[in-house]
Amino acid sequence: MAALPRSKKRKQSSEDVVAAVEAPAFSAPVQSLEMLSDDEGPEETASDDGQVDEFPEIDGASDSEEEALGDDEDEEDEDEETDKEDFEEADSDDSLDRDIFPKPKTIISDITGQPKRVYPEIEPDYDSDSSTEDTQNRVGDVPMHWYDDLPHVGYDMDGKKVLRPARGDELDKFLSTVEDPSAWTSAFDKTAQMDRPLSAEELDIIRRLYANEVPDAGYNPYEPMTEWFTGKGKEEIMPLSAAPEPKRRWVPSKWEKQKVMKIVRAIRQGRIISSKPKTASKLDFYSIWSEPSTSHAPPLPAPKPRLPTNSESYNPPEEYLPSEAERAEWEALDPEDRERDYLPTKHSALRLVPAYDRFIKERFSRQLDLYLAPRIQRVKLNIDPSTLIPKLPSPQSLKPFPNYKSLKFTHSSRARCISISPDGAWVISGDEGGVVSLWEVNVGREVKRWKFEGKIGALEWCPRLDVSYFVVGVEETLHFVIPPNVPSSIFLLTQSLLAPATLPPAPETPSPVKWVTPPTSSWSPDTAILTVHLPPSSGLPKQITWHRRGDYMASVSSGGTQGGVWMHQITRRHSQAPFKKIRGAVQLVLFHPLKPHFFVATQQYVRIYNLSEQKLLKTLTPGIKWISSMDVHPSGDHLIVGGYDRKLCWFDLELSDKPYKILRYHTRAIRSLAFHPTYPLFASSSDDGAIQVFHSRVYNDLMTDPLIVPLKILRGHTVKDGLGVLQVRWCARQPWLVSGGADGTVGLWCS
Amino acid sequence: MAPASHPAVFTTQSPYPLPPQMFMIPATWSRYQLSQLVNKALSLAKPVPFDFLLRGDLLKSSLADWCTQNAVGEEETLEIEYIESVLPPQKMSDLPHDDWVSAVSCQLEQRFLTASYDGQLRAFDYSQNQTWSGPIHGAAITSFCIVPSTSADSHLIATASHDLTAQLTEITLEATQKAKPLASLHLHTAPLSSVAANSSGSQILTASWDGLVGLWDTVVPETDEVPEPAAGDRKKRRKIEENKPKRKAPLMVLKSHTARVSGAVFNDEKTAYSCGFDSTVRSWDLEHGLCANTITSSERPFLSLSLAPSSAPFTVLATSTDRTISQYDFRDPHPLASLTLTHPATPSCIVRSPSHPHQILSGAYDGAARIWDLRSVKGATPVASFKPWDGDKKILGVDWKNGGIVGVAGEGGLGVWKVGEGA
Repeated sequence: MAALPRSKKRKQSSEDVVAAVEAPAFSAPVQSLEMLSDDEGPEETASDDGQVDEFPEIDGASDSEEEALGDDEDEEDEDEETDKEDFEEADSDDSLDRDIFPKPKTIISDITGQPKRVYPEIEPDYDSDSSTEDTQNRVGDVPMHWYDDLPHVGYDMDGKKVLRPARGDELDKFLSTVEDPSAWTSAFDKTAQMDRPLSAEELDIIRRLYANEVPDAGYNPYEPMTEWFTGKGKEEIMPLSAAPEPKRRWVPSKWEKQKVMKIVRAIRQGRIISSKPKTASKLDFYSIWSEPSTSHAPPLPAPKPRLPTNSESYNPPEEYLPSEAERAEWEALDPEDRERDYLPTKHSALRLVPAYDRFIKERFSRQLDLYLAPRIQRVKLNIDPSTLIPKLPSPQSLKPFPNYKSLKFTHSSRARCISISPDGAWVISGDEGGVVSLWEVNVGREVKRWKFEGKIGALEWCPRLDVSYFVVGVEETLHFVIPPNVPSSIFLLTQSLLAPATLPPAPETPSPVKWVTPPTSSWSPDTAILTVHLPPSSGLPKQITWHRRGDYMASVSSGGTQGGVWMHQITRRHSQAPFKKIRGAVQLVLFHPLKPHFFVATQQYVRIYNLSEQKLLKTLTPGIKWISSMDVHPSGDHLIVGGYDRKLCWFDLELSDKPYKILRYHTRAIRSLAFHPTYPLFASSSDDGAIQVFHSRVYNDLMTDPLIVPLKILRGHTVKDGLGVLQVRWCARQPWLVSGGADGTVGLWCS
Repeated sequence: MAPASHPAVFTTQSPYPLPPQMFMIPATWSRYQLSQLVNKALSLAKPVPFDFLLRGDLLKSSLADWCTQNAVGEEETLEIEYIESVLPPQKMSDLPHDDWVSAVSCQLEQRFLTASYDGQLRAFDYSQNQTWSGPIHGAAITSFCIVPSTSADSHLIATASHDLTAQLTEITLEATQKAKPLASLHLHTAPLSSVAANSSGSQILTASWDGLVGLWDTVVPETDEVPEPAAGDRKKRRKIEENKPKRKAPLMVLKSHTARVSGAVFNDEKTAYSCGFDSTVRSWDLEHGLCANTITSSERPFLSLSLAPSSAPFTVLATSTDRTISQYDFRDPHPLASLTLTHPATPSCIVRSPSHPHQILSGAYDGAARIWDLRSVKGATPVASFKPWDGDKKILGVDWKNGGIVGVAGEGGLGVWKVGEGA
């Protein structure tokens, strides 16, 4: 019902234009109406409709008028008109949507004879846009909330305010929906600030959107197909090319067959294995950043070619130009020997410069160079050498230590052994000529001299302070000698110790070692008061070492059975061999300063025996090829071992069988080592003629490692026959060192 | 460029004072020109050579060199002290000995007395003849002193020896006369290192390796004060019975040193000083036998000591094995070495000048005797030095007599030198 007047209205739109003259008159009552009845929106529209509906006659007149106007439009228009009328008739009982939009008319074209769709003409009239038709509010495109607290909502064409229509409350709204059947199809119009009923087209669009259809009602998705090249009478009969059809169109390809057969054969022989069906879900994920990048450096960029210099210019400065002599010299030289492979040449203009004749050669040699001479990135180790040096205290802070040679005492032959009295006042030194000299530490004046048969192998002062004597080891014999100028009480005690009036009872098992005291009448300060004859063929005693109590003494001879080790007890005048059999040649023995332990150094091992329990405690492996010297720290927990292969090993006996530290400071074999009895010092002497003094602080807590600081290299002995400093010893109470050298001098090094 | 010159003021303690006046001294000048300048300014009849001390440093090179070494600017006024220069010592005679000479004394008239390691005492006159010799000890004599006495023809000698005793001996220095041992001093259980007598001759100090200092009077006892050791060989004793000295006991034993005492000297009748290997110098109150003051130095075993020259009372100089001579002042409550003279070798002996208020003489193991001026406090350079013997024969004892006669004893015997003292 609404559709029909609407279509009428559309048709009469041109009529509106005709009536444009009366428009002001016509619009005025509408305006006033609006002004008066604010709350009658729907009513008004209805009345509008009603108004529109009241002009069917004019409508028809305009149609005819239009027809009269457009005679040049010829019959088509007429057809259209008639069609439209048919259509309208058909429409009237058809569905609503068909007649909302201007319907196309399908006519048979006169030219093509085909049916075509013709839409009604849109007149570009003033009133053709129906959107302005009933707009009273001309406020423009401004946000309407600007008018929220104003009584009007805009302005009409005359500039008068369009008052805000009164809006009822919820009850009014409800009543209006009850009363007005079209209320549910109305929407709020913001510019008018009131509800407006939706037009049929709008409702149709909404419906289509709900139904998921194309919103355009006029769109036909099922247009009939237009056939252009197919179908009856449109087949191409003539071929495009006159060329005969090639043979390959119908003959099977020989090469294809060969190729296929090749693959078939390969499959049969198993050379081609059909790939497994790929499982799409088996994606192998991994973190590409988790593994470190390859250690290979990226290939190096080729070195840049040398840049040309001034002399390579086409117009070099005069000073670059070679003289005749230089040119001749350059040409005379072999190309390999030339400093430069070109001669600077002057050209008066750049266009006179000839083509570069060595281009190919140069390029070739560069390629050859890049290819045949691989470049590597030379990694320069940028380490500050001072950081590699361990942090050690400065030697100046570790004073006192011996640092200069105060005096020297000269022997006629190698001073092989020295010993210092336990009070630190006297030195005895023995040489290979059999001379033993006694001299003061501080003056160096020989006070007494003894002469023995053969080389002096070892001598050692008895560590007891209440007696005073020393032992001299010569070939197969040990001599006990009392020094001169001892107080009479000490002298008598020493005498009674070494040559007691009543000899102690002889041991049950006879020993091959004989203790002999010369008769009282033949005693003199020049001869030994007691002589111990070691078993024959035992050779020269290499070492004599005392137990700290001064009662036991061990001697190591170069030859003989049982490793040449003999243990002597002075009070019992008895000697025994502690070992029945011993593996390896014994180099040195030492008593532990505190415990009943005994160190035995063979060529490569140091064994520690417990003398009271008579068992082997430990075997130390210094890793030295041939042990030459050894000394034990006064605390008894540390041992230093020196070797002929220049190594010095520091053992922490509590810690391990392996050395705590290995020092290789000497350039030749180490000959002797000595710990100072009280100062934290030790010294090593070597065949390179140098004595090295070390600070060696040992801490009482087991956690702190011993601190070893090299302090001083004492040079002053000359190397003779490849032998340097043969023995070093410390003065008991002073940080002074006494060293005996192969050059026959014995030096005193003072702090 | 014009030669740079320094403003300088001259001061002196010598008997040749200059008026206080500023001089502009060319920087290129050295000792010789400065000495000439002073001589000219004083217009002395006989030229006197001078040495110059700049801030306690003896001027050896030119002024400019000294200024650059010590970073002294050109504008600064230098205060130059001049001292009469020591003439180069001249060798007078060389008296070789059979054995090392441990000590020498020039205090006797026209005689040098030497003690040797063979236990002999020898006397020489100024014409290099040995006038007398006599065995005093069976072992080496380490030190001796002449006990001042009133008698003119005989002298009392105190000797210290390795045989654990000191001995008082009367000698007359006539070739026919033998030495007469009066008393042997028995206290020590180790060799003695030094002996000293006080100026009145009433007391003797002995220092020994056993850490004791013995104080003795010089009165010879009638009988043995110390008994003979109970056991021993009777035959030997009988042999020397007729000439046997009386065994004498000490007045007092000064115990405080913990190691060898290497030297002891009297300061006056009441106080004495000693030094030892325990790195201490001690002063003793001889009336009570107590250690009055101890100066402890770190790790400096002292070898000998001497009183400082007359300009510094209560001050001792001690040589130590760290190659220095240190000066210690006992008046100082917290004494540090006020002066340290460094040597290239171990200084073994030291003697003060008998007449000069600032000079000392030291002998070292490198065989050089050095004369030092204590005003030259930098202490690196001696005023003069000489070597009595070729090679590095050790010097073991020095003595300095009034009049510039210096006796140097050592490995090579005795050397007698003339040390000029400015005039």
